[in-house]
Amino acid sequence: MPGPGAVPPGAAPVTLFLASLGFGLVTASVLAIAAVGFTLQFGVTDVLNLAYGAIMIFGAFVAYAVNSAGYSVWLGLPAAVIACALLSTLVNSGVYAPFQRRGASPITMVIVSLGMTLIIEFGVQAVAGGVAVSYTMGQGPTFAAGGLTLTGLQLGIIATSVAVMAGVHVLLRYTKLGKAMRATAANRTLARNCGIRTGRVISATWALTGALCGLAGVVFAMDAGSFDATSTDLFLVLILAAVFLGGPGQAYGAMLGAVIIGIATEVSAVFIPADYKYVIAFVALLVMLGVRPTGLLGERT
Amino acid sequence: MTFYTINLLIYAAVDAMACLGLSQQFGIAGVTNFGFIIFQAAGGYAAAILAMPPQTANGGFQTYIGGWNLPFPVPWIGAAVVGGVIALPFTFLVGRRLRGDFAAVGLLVTAVLLNLVVTNYRPLLNGDAGLSLIPQPLQGQYNPATASYQWVFAGIAILLCLGVYLFVRRITESPYGRSLRAMRDNDLVADSLGKSLLSMRTVMLVVGGAIAGLSGGVLVSYITTWSPAAWGYAETVVLFAAVIIGGAGNHAGAVLGAILVPVGFEEVTRFIPTSNSLPPNLIPSLEWVAIGLLIVIFLWVRPQGILPERKRVIRVGAPVAGDGAPAGGGTAGWPTTSEAASVVPETRAESGDGGERYARGSPHHPSPAAAAPSVAASPDADGDFGTSHPPAPAAAAPSAATSPDAGGQAGVLSATHSAEVVGDGGSPSARSSPGSPAAARPDRPGGVVLEAVGVSREFGGVRAVRDVSFSVRAGTLTGLIGPNGAGKSTLLAMLAGTLPVSSGTVLYRGQDVTGLPAFRRARLGLVRTFQLASEFKRLTVMENLLSAVPGNRGDSFRGAVRGRRYWRADETAAIARAEGMLERFGLEGFANDYAGDLSGGQRRLVEIMRALMAEPSMLLLDEPMAGVHPNLARRIGDQLVALCAEGMTILMVEHELAIMDEFCDPVVVMAEGSVLAEGTMAQLRARSEVVEAYLVG
Repeated sequence: MPGPGAVPPGAAPVTLFLASLGFGLVTASVLAIAAVGFTLQFGVTDVLNLAYGAIMIFGAFVAYAVNSAGYSVWLGLPAAVIACALLSTLVNSGVYAPFQRRGASPITMVIVSLGMTLIIEFGVQAVAGGVAVSYTMGQGPTFAAGGLTLTGLQLGIIATSVAVMAGVHVLLRYTKLGKAMRATAANRTLARNCGIRTGRVISATWALTGALCGLAGVVFAMDAGSFDATSTDLFLVLILAAVFLGGPGQAYGAMLGAVIIGIATEVSAVFIPADYKYVIAFVALLVMLGVRPTGLLGERT
Repeated sequence: MTFYTINLLIYAAVDAMACLGLSQQFGIAGVTNFGFIIFQAAGGYAAAILAMPPQTANGGFQTYIGGWNLPFPVPWIGAAVVGGVIALPFTFLVGRRLRGDFAAVGLLVTAVLLNLVVTNYRPLLNGDAGLSLIPQPLQGQYNPATASYQWVFAGIAILLCLGVYLFVRRITESPYGRSLRAMRDNDLVADSLGKSLLSMRTVMLVVGGAIAGLSGGVLVSYITTWSPAAWGYAETVVLFAAVIIGGAGNHAGAVLGAILVPVGFEEVTRFIPTSNSLPPNLIPSLEWVAIGLLIVIFLWVRPQGILPERKRVIRVGAPVAGDGAPAGGGTAGWPTTSEAASVVPETRAESGDGGERYARGSPHHPSPAAAAPSVAASPDADGDFGTSHPPAPAAAAPSAATSPDAGGQAGVLSATHSAEVVGDGGSPSARSSPGSPAAARPDRPGGVVLEAVGVSREFGGVRAVRDVSFSVRAGTLTGLIGPNGAGKSTLLAMLAGTLPVSSGTVLYRGQDVTGLPAFRRARLGLVRTFQLASEFKRLTVMENLLSAVPGNRGDSFRGAVRGRRYWRADETAAIARAEGMLERFGLEGFANDYAGDLSGGQRRLVEIMRALMAEPSMLLLDEPMAGVHPNLARRIGDQLVALCAEGMTILMVEHELAIMDEFCDPVVVMAEGSVLAEGTMAQLRARSEVVEAYLVG
């Protein structure tokens, strides 16, 4: 992700602030897509899937493969979305679901997902090599409004994110699948007893959140400029921070968390060295875990 | 070749130490510490900056804090201390309130971010480049480049590893270790039996951290460099892989895993021929993939690891067989018939009180309390507790007077319990502190033991229990009945402290316990059982029972460290009590079976027996007869009635009207979160609204 280093040195503090606010909006947009996918996945399927970051980078590399074959990365994007939906479904039906059927504890599931993280992330690295790559693409025209400067690409990312959030809202509020997902998340047994085919809902959720994960991976890679197989390790910390800030399983909470974490990390980089901007997310995550694990929007226990 | 062997031995010793620490946390105590590598890193850095000269004296090419130039073995000791101390801030993540997987994620994220900070902040520990030229132990006196020096180094590392092995074994094979394993199997239940989860998890974090720190200190002294690249979060995953593959919960397995995974991988890849045609990162990448695969495959195919946790068989019947009166069992609330016969006359003779029907409170009580001093005087002197401490009412010594348990503890105080008077600080102080309200006001038969005043509980706007006030009188078997969703279990959980109240007050023996967590209430003698099966699955039936015994001198970290000799007497007495209990319930043949392998009905029995082993003065039972064969249910009911006759107070949630009819008096009816009525079943049947609520609800 571009830090405030992109801002010319000696810029006035207000300019610096506005510029970092712009970056914050972009980071928040990428983060929102990823965090909403993660939180829906956890809420509905009950798997705290730490391999989410690895699947994201897998998607980014699928788009890179399409891109380096001479096609536009915008063609690679749907390919990545489909590939990640497939991979997520596969990982669930091949690994997580059998473990869950056997009654594995949440801790065991987390350890399994860490194992999957290694397999996917370093599988990608074995194929792609350990070097950083970047997409061949234009940044689009630059738009400036009162000190807030954004490229066409960045605006595109923000617009995509807003569209995805609206889509998730419509899905959860107005569609049968979305309602079934909410019911399954609230109480799986009760949902099944009410005639909801929870098995199908869970499969659909893996495909859907996998697709969001793939989309997030590609926009993350676009925003980052250059990336390698381990690039999402730290981004996963941001995702977790956004998810726990909003309350695990809460889609709207994750959106709110993403906006707060995204903007806070980038804006904090004005005041502290850019290398430590993630520390804000880390502190937010630990405070939430220690004080209120149900999140800002969650119920108080 | 010699140096290669030495190198291998030292790495094996370091990894084995780390795996032992992790195995103790994860395999024994169930604390999933995904940040384990932080502690090894901290130990490494601590050893480095303690041993290194000030940064200016070292060529000035690296910056770091410290640089105290301290002689061996100070750096290694410092490594262990620092590893343990930095574990303390993490304890807030592992309390009872936070889900284990969330806490694990918190630790993982901490590991990732600490690595980031150390990497980027150069003044602290030379940042990304890391520290180098770390002095080796005694390098002024000896030449570290010689083979003899390195052999000695390897020998010391292996000895340290052996020491760590013996230390973790000593802890694990003690009553404290049993409590840790109970917490691992079901932390909520361990809490309800009087175990402080926070304290045990804190100790585990600190002990594991110190071991990890020591391993880090030994490692940097050997390799003489230490940088953030050496302790990425993924290194923790390698250690987890080692422990899972070797066998979590088995310390030999941890050592085996350390040899197979971190050491084995390093060695195997050494023999893969390097080829220029391969991509540069291929082999290391595939190594990580293989570790991931090993974790997933092992968890699926052999979750117990290569060397599974071994079963702790306790020979039943040996020490006190044929004695007829295992003293511990005799004073417990569950005496065999013959014991009861021998105890009751004695107490009557002493007290001269007329209240035989309620042989509790003042008449029954002095006996066990008075037994305390004699026990206290010679807990270690004789190994055979069971035979030498019959109830001794004559010995009415001072401690009997100061014991607050003059109340409802009555027939449930055991000889083992009184040992805590002289035992270490781990004993429940609330119970033995003079002047507590309980001491001032012994339970009279019919007196109020437990009282709820305006207790409410909300779950996100839904009021599961609203403004409930009622009381339970001493010596009664009070029933709590109501339709599904009436709030019975929620109320019980609030009375036991498993759930905090939203509003209202809970008074236990006159003391406001509303703010006390479950384990503190259990230590006061208010013990609950659970609606769902809650046995400690990977403990034997005998161990399940023993895990609940309060006041065992070995059931604290300090006691465990002091060794078997220190706690053997308590353990023998506890085993004798447990044997009496098992005989009473007809499960003596299952003493050494894993509780998880029993039938549903047997598991309920285990749970009730375990609650009784906790020496309660009041039991809160959540549907103890649900899913139990009617014959067995009747037997349980008879036993509960007998207990009450001996002085126990019981509040029992039940569903079955028939059971209420037969055993409970009085009965409290709940519906829709409120108490509807209270009285005998006959009275309740006459009240139309009760019948209606129950039948309609």
